[in-house]
Amino acid sequence: MRIEIDHSLTFSLPPDTAQLVMHLLLTPASGPSQTVESWSIEAAGIGNAGRFRDGYGNAAHLVNQTRPDGEMRLVARGVVRTTDTNGVLGRKLPDEPVPTLYKRVTALTRAPVTLYGKFRSAKDNRLDVLHGLMARVGETLGLAEEAEPATQMQATGEQTQRQSAEPDSDLPPTIDYVHLFIGGARALDIPARFVCGYLAPGDGMAGGLHAWAEAYDDKLGWIGFDAQNQVCPTERYVRLAVGLDAESALPLRTVPIGEIVQEAVVKPA
Amino acid sequence: MGEKTPFDEMYNPDGSVREPYRALAEWLAEQPDKGLALMQTDAEAIFRKLGITFAVYGSDEGNEKVIPFDVIPRIIAANEWRRLSKGIEQRVKALNAFLYDIYHRQEILKAGRVPEKLILNNEAFCPQMMGLEPAKGVYAHIIGVDIVRVGPDEFYVLEDNLRTPSGVSYMLEDREAMMLLAPDLFHRSKVAPVEIYPENLRRTLESVAPDSARGAPNIAVLTPGIYNSAYFEHSFLADQMGAQLCEGPDLFVDGGKVYMRTTCGPEQVDVIYRRIDDDYLDPLTFRPDSMLGVPGLFDAYRAGNVTLVNAPGTGIADDKAVYTYVPDIIEFYLGEKALLSNVPTYNCTDEDQRAWVLENIADLVVKEVHGSGGYGMMVGPTSTKAMHAEFRKKIEARPDNYIVQPTLNLSTCPTHISGDVAPRHVDLRPYVLVGDEVRITPGGLTRVALKKGSLVVNSSQGGGTKDTWVLED
Repeated sequence: MRIEIDHSLTFSLPPDTAQLVMHLLLTPASGPSQTVESWSIEAAGIGNAGRFRDGYGNAAHLVNQTRPDGEMRLVARGVVRTTDTNGVLGRKLPDEPVPTLYKRVTALTRAPVTLYGKFRSAKDNRLDVLHGLMARVGETLGLAEEAEPATQMQATGEQTQRQSAEPDSDLPPTIDYVHLFIGGARALDIPARFVCGYLAPGDGMAGGLHAWAEAYDDKLGWIGFDAQNQVCPTERYVRLAVGLDAESALPLRTVPIGEIVQEAVVKPA
Repeated sequence: MGEKTPFDEMYNPDGSVREPYRALAEWLAEQPDKGLALMQTDAEAIFRKLGITFAVYGSDEGNEKVIPFDVIPRIIAANEWRRLSKGIEQRVKALNAFLYDIYHRQEILKAGRVPEKLILNNEAFCPQMMGLEPAKGVYAHIIGVDIVRVGPDEFYVLEDNLRTPSGVSYMLEDREAMMLLAPDLFHRSKVAPVEIYPENLRRTLESVAPDSARGAPNIAVLTPGIYNSAYFEHSFLADQMGAQLCEGPDLFVDGGKVYMRTTCGPEQVDVIYRRIDDDYLDPLTFRPDSMLGVPGLFDAYRAGNVTLVNAPGTGIADDKAVYTYVPDIIEFYLGEKALLSNVPTYNCTDEDQRAWVLENIADLVVKEVHGSGGYGMMVGPTSTKAMHAEFRKKIEARPDNYIVQPTLNLSTCPTHISGDVAPRHVDLRPYVLVGDEVRITPGGLTRVALKKGSLVVNSSQGGGTKDTWVLED
């Protein structure tokens, strides 16, 4: 499937900001499940950006601006061709850290023993355990009715990022499902990471910015799990950035900090 | 260890003088009455004039103090030093290899030689460092190794300081003061120079400049500012090396590079000897509330445009819980036995060991895993019963937060105490520089516990310093 993405981020700067420094994770990489056909980032200062790989293997930009205007707007857009791999990405890719890194428990990825306890003594293979864990996260946090939008994304911590139009729902935000799944997997000694990306609408899911988890199996390598939608990623999923949790995979971090409003229009090309 | 008389570095048990101290003993015998006391007064004046002060946190009587200096030098024989420096070099090489491995393939964890959880879930482990290739493969460029002596041939490493070890300015100033106070003493012995340290520091820093640096690398010393207890040292070292002393706001990133604001416009910086802790280095990557750091600095480092000295995340190698594995770390990477011993350390998370520790706490030393500077520790034999009870409770509540060691009977050196000479316990912190090569300054900083019988040498806890001599053959 060819997917067209138009991701905009707007950021209101505190008055009299002398220096704005931004850390961008806004460049998707080609891999087993996707090929980036075209991609560009529009932002003041992007031409002069420092480019590097972060500790998780993401392509990152360091952008700075002196005396920026009151409102900052960035747009990342492009076309990505995807294939359905049943969520399987395979073994470690060249720029990625060793999978064991993702056993590190962070403040955002703590899971209660009631979540994962029953899998501790399970004789099932790892794949069955992970599917069981995904179902358990869904039971614990609740699942949307068919076609309920799955586009909300909110990071806790110092910086909040959210979409302009929040869906009307009593269910927890997407990242809670991801963090709970990751916490459970890590407690079971299984490496698991946070994925920030895009979802093309269809199959009863609304499109837009999205987040899910990936867990590591020694035989199959990294496999995606979307506990909120109870599926392994399909060809509708585009991976953007990975990290230990939502905070380390944020598409945009800034100094000074402030509220970032994001909107992603995702549709089949 | 226990009750027996500590090893005296100057006198043999029969009262004769040990060889390295012979010249000093003669000199001491020649000093007139009150000679040492006068010298002590002069020393005080010299240090005030040099402006060497340190800040004691949580003390009311003035912020700045002159660290007590003892006018009798501590002496290490040439052959003793050769052995020590070989052991130190082995240690710093292995610890840098360990850091490279931990931030790349983690072979030592796969091999099960160091527990995975101890590293991965450690606060001192810095996931942002994964996959980074530091210049020359070096993470910890400036290291202070704390060593104690308990016998003629018995040395132990107490801890490795791989974050931002301080105190080197005292080593340099103690020597300067000693040469002013007793120039004649230097004619009687061949003492290895320490004055070369700032030059070696500069060479080390230049050798780890990024490949992109053109011409002579531009070096900056980054300090948290005048309220830091070691501010004097930061400005002293910058001055001695001919480098710029900067605070966070003096630096900024532009186009992925780091610049210094100067009166002649921005100047690119290639190497930063930073004396700011990891957490406060860059609010964009680490603590967002840090006012001391430089936003974007870490990203510029990852982009390969600047070198940070020491690298962030080196603390994982001097974590007190990781310390117990250093002999294994040396064997794993170098295939050699450790030349310097670790102090035997009890693991309180082990039930049997914990029970034994709680029983014998009055004879043991308890240290907080993340503590430093003598804060949060208890020396059993010199503590009250109430303190013993308090630390028993602390260990029971959080066994993983403490390491416990036997009380080492630290060696003593003759020390000037109000007109008299008396033995006092000492330790030793040699300073090591790692860049294109390993450079160890002969000697280091000797800290002395001025209170009779005290084993705590930290300056924040009433310790002083001595000039440390390594004799040349």
